[in-house]
Amino acid sequence: MKTFDYTITDEVGIHARPAGILVKEAKTYASKITISKGEKKAEATKLMAIMSLGVKQGETITVTVEGDDEDTCAPAIETFFKENL
Amino acid sequence: MDYNKCAKEILAAIGGKDNLVSAAHCATRLRLVIVDNDKTDQATLEDIDGVKGVFESAGQLQIIIGTGTVNKVYDEFIKEAGVEAASKDDVKAAAAAKAPMWKRAIKTLGDVFVPILPAIVASGLLMGIVEAIGKVSTDFSSTDWYAFLDMMSSTAFAFLPVLVAASAAKVFGANIYLGVVMGLMMVHPSLLNGWNVGNVESINEFFGVTDGIIPTWNLFGDLQIGDYVVGSISQHGYQGHVIPVVIVIWLMSKIEKWLHKHVPEMIDLFVVPITTIFISALAAFIVIGPIFSLLENYVLAGAEWLVQNPFGAAVVGFFYPATVVMGLHHMYNVIEAGMLAAGDLNTWMPIATAANFAQAAAALAVGLKAKNGKTKTIAIPSALSASLGITEPAIFGINFRFFKPFICAMIGGAVGGLFAAIVGLGATAYGVTGFPGFLIINNIPMYCLLLLISGGVAFILTWIIWKEGDTKKDKKAKDAPVADAEAKEVDATDTAVDDTAEKMVCTPVDGKVIPLTETPDETFASEALGKGGAIIPTGDTIKSPVNGTVNMVFDTGHAVGLESDDGVEILVHIGINTVELNGNGFETIAKEGDKVKVGDPLIKFDEKIIKDGGYNLTTPIIVTNTDDFASVELLTTGDVTSGTELLKVQK
Repeated sequence: MKTFDYTITDEVGIHARPAGILVKEAKTYASKITISKGEKKAEATKLMAIMSLGVKQGETITVTVEGDDEDTCAPAIETFFKENL
Repeated sequence: MDYNKCAKEILAAIGGKDNLVSAAHCATRLRLVIVDNDKTDQATLEDIDGVKGVFESAGQLQIIIGTGTVNKVYDEFIKEAGVEAASKDDVKAAAAAKAPMWKRAIKTLGDVFVPILPAIVASGLLMGIVEAIGKVSTDFSSTDWYAFLDMMSSTAFAFLPVLVAASAAKVFGANIYLGVVMGLMMVHPSLLNGWNVGNVESINEFFGVTDGIIPTWNLFGDLQIGDYVVGSISQHGYQGHVIPVVIVIWLMSKIEKWLHKHVPEMIDLFVVPITTIFISALAAFIVIGPIFSLLENYVLAGAEWLVQNPFGAAVVGFFYPATVVMGLHHMYNVIEAGMLAAGDLNTWMPIATAANFAQAAAALAVGLKAKNGKTKTIAIPSALSASLGITEPAIFGINFRFFKPFICAMIGGAVGGLFAAIVGLGATAYGVTGFPGFLIINNIPMYCLLLLISGGVAFILTWIIWKEGDTKKDKKAKDAPVADAEAKEVDATDTAVDDTAEKMVCTPVDGKVIPLTETPDETFASEALGKGGAIIPTGDTIKSPVNGTVNMVFDTGHAVGLESDDGVEILVHIGINTVELNGNGFETIAKEGDKVKVGDPLIKFDEKIIKDGGYNLTTPIIVTNTDDFASVELLTTGDVTSGTELLKVQK
């Protein structure tokens, strides 16, 4: 299992569009990717769940990657967040 | 090694299943076609346990895994990648396991026959027409055109075991080429044509003998148990046979799979195919084939005895199509030839006609009654072909698959057979039935009546008894667009699946509906978030498109997510990029967790504020869990009021 924290820099937070791109990216990995904000958790492959987190600019989320390809997946997802969110 | 782990790691390293176009394997390599090669991680690939090397060639990413291992990794790989065929087969197998044995057998036979129907329907029809014209005009039957057309149209039937074998190999998950080899073996030109088994002249000519007995190969010398010579193979082929071939290929698939599991990888490629073919061939020619040949002899003797009285004729008329299904009907022309040789009329032909024409009528009834386009397109030409005497397409393609029409036709055949025997119908030649039979019959008006009776009974019974919704297969196919029919049929199962019902998503607001792909925003238009539709609102309130629960309302009020009671997740996103308005112009009415019904207000918006802010008001309505369903279909476009059925979602 690998985890990292990320603070959202996108000024509108994780809204529909970036959430959609995130889901698409997350689905390419075998690992289970979970995003949590405080108590709330969402699987990165579930669009509605991610949007329900209501993540806004400046908020910090914790990303958890667990699975066979976590070694390649975690850094890739982190890069993805930096580039898109 | 762990094949599944290897497959998973490969899939991850090539960038997941979305980056995969197709997968195949050869003797040593996994050959993948990749969407974007930049997404594949070659270094990681090479490090995977089991991967011996990686390179790109001819547009393929080739991963060397090794003989005997690659097919096992491939099997796991297509499972992991979610290749559709595999998962459907699983579903099918699981469903089939629950049905009773005979139903499974019929279903299997149907699965084998459906893919080869185009070939045999075309051939059957053409063959019927060519033979009929040949009978009418003896001039025509001596032309080169006739010879050519006869050769062409009879190809599919002359090599029927090959078509059946290929299709069966696919159904049973055996190597398709090994299946073809078995099929070809059973019609090998070194063997006497199966159609000539009862024909003394052909036997003498073919083998250069004079006693009319087919020679045997005795693999174990003269070793005998009673009268039976152990390992004796009669040197004739199985042209026109269906069931023995299906059984042989089934057995072959079992042997092949067992061997793949137990033979060491090093020698797998060398040992498995040769052993598979060897054992299958012995089983085919020593056991399975002869059992059916023996049955054929009994059927022949029984039929000869039965046909001597009217009630026997009814019995023959009834069971005739069953013998066609079993492939035991090839020697009937021996009976006909015998009758004519004895100076009598051929009274067999009218009974066969009754049976065949009844099949034609039953298929016609199905064709006229069916709403499913695919059933129709098979049923009607098949019926035509059967009325000309070639019944295989009608029986295997329609009647036997739906089964009830088959029984109805058997009853029609029995009634017709009885009638023919009572009025003393007979033919002066043999080889044709149905409409072409008019050319050789002794009493034309009575022959007309015979066709009317047998066909009429079968048609009326089928029309009354058979309903398109009888099986799930029909029900699903009926509701689906024609193009989808085949796909639907593939995963049709006999298990009750309640969640296959269609689920509706309605329009959330008055306005003009456009396809999602025409939304002026790439994210939505590309269907990356899911399939759905979009509406350019004229109203000012977003209402619930389903009965369900509000999952999420954005703080900014520009979008709302719901889950319907039947499991469809929907996102309604008001305008494009309107998140940037930060709530200005939106007033949320519903809140998370609210239970709502179609038409309940969710969000009010101010069109003026949104438009003045420079935003497009096009509102996508998206099924965000599209992947959970087989289809999401947009039902309407143009001006609508809120609450109109917008999307049809189906498992």
